[in-house]
This record gives sequence, structure tokens and C-alpha cells, in this order.
Amino acid sequence: MAIQVNRGVIGKEYPPYTVTVERGKIKEFARAIGDLNPFYLDDAVGRASEWGDVVAPPTFATTFRDEAIAAQALRDLGIDISRVLHGEQEFEIHRQMRPGETYLCRSKVIDIYEKSGRTGSMAFVVRETVATDDANEIVATMRHITVVRL
Amino acid sequence: MKYGKVYFEDVVVGAEITSLQKGPIQQIQLTRYAGASGDFNPIHQDDEFAKAAGMGGVFAHGMLTMGFVAQAVTDWAGAGSVRKIGVRFTGLVRLKDTVTCRGRVVDKVAKDGAHTVELEIWAENQRGEKVVTGRATVGLPSRDR
Repeated sequence: MAIQVNRGVIGKEYPPYTVTVERGKIKEFARAIGDLNPFYLDDAVGRASEWGDVVAPPTFATTFRDEAIAAQALRDLGIDISRVLHGEQEFEIHRQMRPGETYLCRSKVIDIYEKSGRTGSMAFVVRETVATDDANEIVATMRHITVVRL
Repeated sequence: MKYGKVYFEDVVVGAEITSLQKGPIQQIQLTRYAGASGDFNPIHQDDEFAKAAGMGGVFAHGMLTMGFVAQAVTDWAGAGSVRKIGVRFTGLVRLKDTVTCRGRVVDKVAKDGAHTVELEIWAENQRGEKVVTGRATVGLPSRDR
């Protein structure tokens, strides 16, 4: 049975939420990928580096999620998590993140469009999340495309 | 050397970066990645759930595969070098699959004191099927500085 995606959420902005870059989380994330780069894992290497501390892997900002907003986004679309696949992902890294920093994340729905292919109909939900620092400078911009199997 | 330093001047357009092989993918890595990333979608953990969802069984988080590709880029260009990285997920990575991450230089630009290199990046499974395709922009040190 085909399902419908609620296109009414195009343009919706979710309430801003804060995240803190944790040293241990950077290391846990790098190890989960199996990326043992000392610039992520070794505090001494980080201190001696041009950044003065460990840095995060390029995809680390994927950890900047808010459970309540993720659940709300699914409810807004009117779909179940079992219908969802990850279509595309982009990170723009404006500067390196530093352990201990806190960012404000703002997420919004940019577009929703549908396509039909050999595997059936799918809806594409385009979202953008922007993380800004205390000086209101953008640290990272994430663009996600979620695919919903209709 | 695994974490080599690449200078902008030494980069040749059309050259491939050192490939990186990851896997075979095990369930424990998907569970570990769920914990590290916060993505607990049961489709990556629970085989029954994934089958009931019509996916034929569990498969890896796309973000894990993207993390592998990003590692191939930073192994070559250095940690902290990535300015932008974007991918499209074109195939599912299953348990026991191996993933080989590759990249090729498509452009290099020196402008306003910044030295950036544009890469075409992709990952393929053990059958040579592309599971991720995309682009990355990295900043590299220059010998002129």
C-alpha cells in the first residue's frame, strides 16, 4: 500500500538545539569508523598541531542530532522509520571544531520531491542543519537527503 | 607513510589517491557506530526488523561508509584538511562486504593564498559495485608559504 509524505513541512524550521563537542565522543566516533588517525585520538599530537588540540573526523557533525527533533521530523512527514533510507549527505566544514565548544544547531526542511524508478516511488526530503559558535560564526553546514520508500 | 603530508605543488590532476580497504563489515561495527553516531535505526541492528521492512536484512549506515571514504581522503590529505565532502549513497553495504574507498584529483586551485584540491571520491564493494559516489574539497599546504 502506497503511503503519502506530508509536503506541508517544506520550509519548516525546528527549534534550535545546542551540542557540545566532547573529546571522548570524537575518539569514540573515530574508533567506530576504524580511523585511528592520531590527530583525532592522541591529545599530545593534537596539542602540538596547528589547531592546539585534537580535531574531529570530517563526518563528525552527524553526531549533532536531537532525538526529540528526529522523532518529530518523522511524525511531521507522517512516516515510519522503516521506510527511510539515506540518499545523500554533504558537510561543509568552515573551520575545525574544538573539544569543549558548544554550538547552536538550526535545522530546516528545504524541499520535498517525488520520483518513480524501477524500485517504485520514492520521496526525497531535503534538510539543512547549520551549526554556529558563540560568536554566531558558522562552523559546519550539513545537507541531508532522506529517501522515503512510498 | 600512512599519514603522509601532501603539498599542493606535488598534486597532479587526474592522479588517484591511495585507496583504503575497510571491512569485512561485522554486526559489532554497526552497533558500535550506532552508539558513536546516535543513529539507532533498528534497520542496521535487527535482522528481523530489516527483513520485515523489505530490505532483505541488516545493512550498514550510509554514514559509516561515508566515514570510510572521508578516512581515505584524510589519510592522503591529512586530518583537518577537508573543507567540503558530499556523497550520494548508491548501494547498500551488507554484513561481510568489503569496501574499497578511492579518489581522483579533478582540479586544483590556488587563489587568495588558499590552496585547494577537488577530488572525485567513491567506494566500491568486493564485486566492484559503487556504493558511494561524491566529491571532496581539501585544503593543502603550499611550499611557497
